[in-house]
Amino acid sequence: MDLGRVISLRASDAPSGVVDDWGRDPALVRSMMRLAHGRWNVSVGGDHYLPRRKGALIVVNARRFALSPIFAAFAVSEALGRPVRFVGRPDTAPVGAFSRRIGGLLDHPDEVAGALAASQVVVMGAEHGDVGRVDHTLVGAALAGGVSVYPAATVSSPFTRAARVEIGPASKSLRRRRGPLSELELADQVRVDIARLLDELGELHTGTPLDWLPLSGLGGA
Amino acid sequence: MGGRRVFVSGVGGELGTLVASLLEAEDWVGALSGIDADPPRRRLNRTVFHRIHPDEHDRIVDTVVKFNPHVLVHVGVWEPDARAAPYDAAALTDQAATSIIGAAAECSALEHVIVRSGIEIYGRSRGALTRPSESAPIQPTSDWGRTVAAIERTAAQVGERVGVTIGALRLAPVLGPHVPSPLGRLLRMPAVPFSLLADPPFAVIEDRDAARAFVAAARLGLAEPVNIVAPGAITALQAARRGRRIPVPLVGPDWRIARTLSHLAGAPIPDHVAEALHRGRLADNTRMRTLLGVEAQTSTTEVIDRLYHWPSVVRQPARVQVA
Repeated sequence: MDLGRVISLRASDAPSGVVDDWGRDPALVRSMMRLAHGRWNVSVGGDHYLPRRKGALIVVNARRFALSPIFAAFAVSEALGRPVRFVGRPDTAPVGAFSRRIGGLLDHPDEVAGALAASQVVVMGAEHGDVGRVDHTLVGAALAGGVSVYPAATVSSPFTRAARVEIGPASKSLRRRRGPLSELELADQVRVDIARLLDELGELHTGTPLDWLPLSGLGGA
Repeated sequence: MGGRRVFVSGVGGELGTLVASLLEAEDWVGALSGIDADPPRRRLNRTVFHRIHPDEHDRIVDTVVKFNPHVLVHVGVWEPDARAAPYDAAALTDQAATSIIGAAAECSALEHVIVRSGIEIYGRSRGALTRPSESAPIQPTSDWGRTVAAIERTAAQVGERVGVTIGALRLAPVLGPHVPSPLGRLLRMPAVPFSLLADPPFAVIEDRDAARAFVAAARLGLAEPVNIVAPGAITALQAARRGRRIPVPLVGPDWRIARTLSHLAGAPIPDHVAEALHRGRLADNTRMRTLLGVEAQTSTTEVIDRLYHWPSVVRQPARVQVA
């Protein structure tokens, strides 16, 4: 089914003039998704790996100014039919207030831990660059709550509407640790898994300096 | 378990009266006694009421020690600009907490103390968690937040010294048809100010749900803090729209004028309410269900809807003028 139709069909389910327990405004998110759909046609793969009711932490690759976690959160939310939040809202008005309305959480392990404990799906971005470092404190918040961490690759084209969010199976650390090493090693594993997903997607290369510009909104590697 | 003696401080307030009336219906409660500066708001059948001002320490100690409670439920707090001006409210709350919890510490039968606190205790400084749980750091940024933090501190010290468990119920702003609430009063004004740049969400709790939580905490002997918050959230603009009030967008210095005007109109905006309107006020209520086994029956949105349907004060002239 066309994504635009799906958005409009589900729009009638979400109440307007209310916010949820975290301050997310479903009506505003719906409007933002409609706007985003005007620019990108995002397809989501691998969403069957995600739990239907329990919490999950999704880590996506991010490019500077590309807002990958936000648009990935919108796309995954549409695919799952449940609210998806993203990490990285500032705490200053008006940008922070607006980010909270569209599902933003503070970049703080306790904030992420609280959302995951409340069975929320949360998207966070790796650091900018060629699949940058993954914040192990946020991964640690998921580990502490017994929540799985999923790698996801986001790619898009600056010239077409096509964009894709590909979610992989939950990352697992190769060694079993009892101490804080577990979160460091899991964060490294997530990074490796995202790189592998990007390789499988083939990434996007125009062969021009455009590859370096944050034009896509979703960002490649 | 039956035949427990329960002492309720602040039984004259709307919340205290509700708590006492619910406790009266509990099987495990034997004797019930209460204290406040004002008489209860409705008829209580089993509760023995003592009208004592918070600064009458000797009478409070005599009354509490004589009753020798197993459980103390301390609801006797004054929210700023609810029934007293902020300075008086802080002084009254401090006096009541010190003398009542201190008196209870002298009782040999005492086992549990349940105190009323508030989610203002977490503060809303820059970078504060959106929805703090009970393990979040206590960093109050308002007078009311500091007041409830002091109550919890006093109770914790007494608990350590005499070896009794202390449970703190951190309530969201309490609204009810007869509850004096600065937030409720402000939202019922014909024009409601909201922060144009932020308009953050806040949560509330209805008085009956809060009272049920107190009764559950007293019954179970709660020994830790729990957030008591209704599910859902709402912003000031959304509340004004639901109540068909005129929303007044404000930025920066406009707030000083708005607070003055609102004060003159009979709805002062204390700093913790101003903070909620600027920075929001949410809290994680998961442990309310897991620890106390109670869930709020009324969501935040429903409480706000009811707020606009509760009748105003109706003044009826006396049939016979005597003065």
